[in-house]
Amino acid sequence: MDLETVKDRAGPRAFSPADDLPQEYREAATRMIEFHANSEIMGAYLERPFIRQAPSIDRKLAFSAKVQDEIGHGQLLYRAAESLGVKSREQMLADLANGDGKFLNCFHYPMESWVETPMIAFFVDGAAMRRQATLRRTSWEPYAHAMDKVCFEEGFHVKHGEDILQELMTGSRKERQLTQEAFEKWWPRIIQFFGPTDDDSTHHDFAASVGLKQKSNDELRNAFLDQYIPKARNYGLEIPDEPRIRERDDGTYEVEEGDLDWDEFFAIAKNEYEPGRDQIGGRRAAQEAVQWVRETIDETIARGHAPRAAD
Amino acid sequence: MIWEVFRQEQAGEYHTHCGNVHAPDREMAKQFAAVQHGRRKPTNSLWVVPRDEVGEITGDDVAFGGTTDKSYRWATTYRTTGADASEVVESESEQADAEQGRGDD
Repeated sequence: MDLETVKDRAGPRAFSPADDLPQEYREAATRMIEFHANSEIMGAYLERPFIRQAPSIDRKLAFSAKVQDEIGHGQLLYRAAESLGVKSREQMLADLANGDGKFLNCFHYPMESWVETPMIAFFVDGAAMRRQATLRRTSWEPYAHAMDKVCFEEGFHVKHGEDILQELMTGSRKERQLTQEAFEKWWPRIIQFFGPTDDDSTHHDFAASVGLKQKSNDELRNAFLDQYIPKARNYGLEIPDEPRIRERDDGTYEVEEGDLDWDEFFAIAKNEYEPGRDQIGGRRAAQEAVQWVRETIDETIARGHAPRAAD
Repeated sequence: MIWEVFRQEQAGEYHTHCGNVHAPDREMAKQFAAVQHGRRKPTNSLWVVPRDEVGEITGDDVAFGGTTDKSYRWATTYRTTGADASEVVESESEQADAEQGRGDD
């Protein structure tokens, strides 16, 4: 299939591993899905310490379930990416460990306190779900199928994150104040989740023309603000003055791009932001620390013992 | 030799199991599957898989979903306020359906 044919036929779930697809499509889809897979893994590592720091047994169980889900989403997505035949799962994991793998801006920032957890588990996951729901109609069928399962599970993550936010914002005055401060710290990063405006997006046009991407950065950011500004206010959070956000007559939003730190954003995009490098290093150390587990599994299988899954 | 047959109704959908055919080899299995399972119901693609190659694990072998109360991992557990995003509503409703199917409380 040549590129023109791909563009003609581009529609929801239009292409599968049975199709002979041009290299440009395979590379663009690999870049997009690998980024998504890496983000699931790095998000899980960011949240993992809060299994230990959770304030109650219910929160601990829910947080460990969520982290387990995110790792599972990473695995599903590496499979969807691998099926394009450009990069193997091992190569993608190695690139993530050595600092070449790219992932979502929000997961480059350290998370230090419990009051920050709903910023990821509610707002970032809510933003991710806005985007993922549109990707159920992406043109790479294995990616769309992975999104079916991810979207099925993700509702729990968002609702649990929202439940934490609700608990904090109906708590003591100190809890409310600390939560508001965390919100102010994370809000600009969350706005940047959707990337630069459409004019400045490098990969959008091609990805849209071959049906990989269903909505533009601006459309998704609008859809997010439309849904989540009322949610934030509902729980008593004040939207920070910056970045300035104006509601247009047609109900869409205009974000004053100049109010956001794009130098930091693009440093992050290149894995050059120092705290993000620590996140990458932390995951690499964890990967190396459990190398013996992978080796044990391989040896066990080589000896002919069937592995068994945990509960 | 028995071949299990999976039918996909439209491009992009899932291949779901729809029956099996008796055939001496893969080519014949594909032809028989097309005749027996591809003619009446809408069909975009069929897979045939030798039955011996299918691994099966059932509720007798393993407790699917675990043996403990895992209500904390369902959206339906959390009582939040205000209208939810459409995809969150959809996820919660799919989870509620799955909950019923599993027979949880």
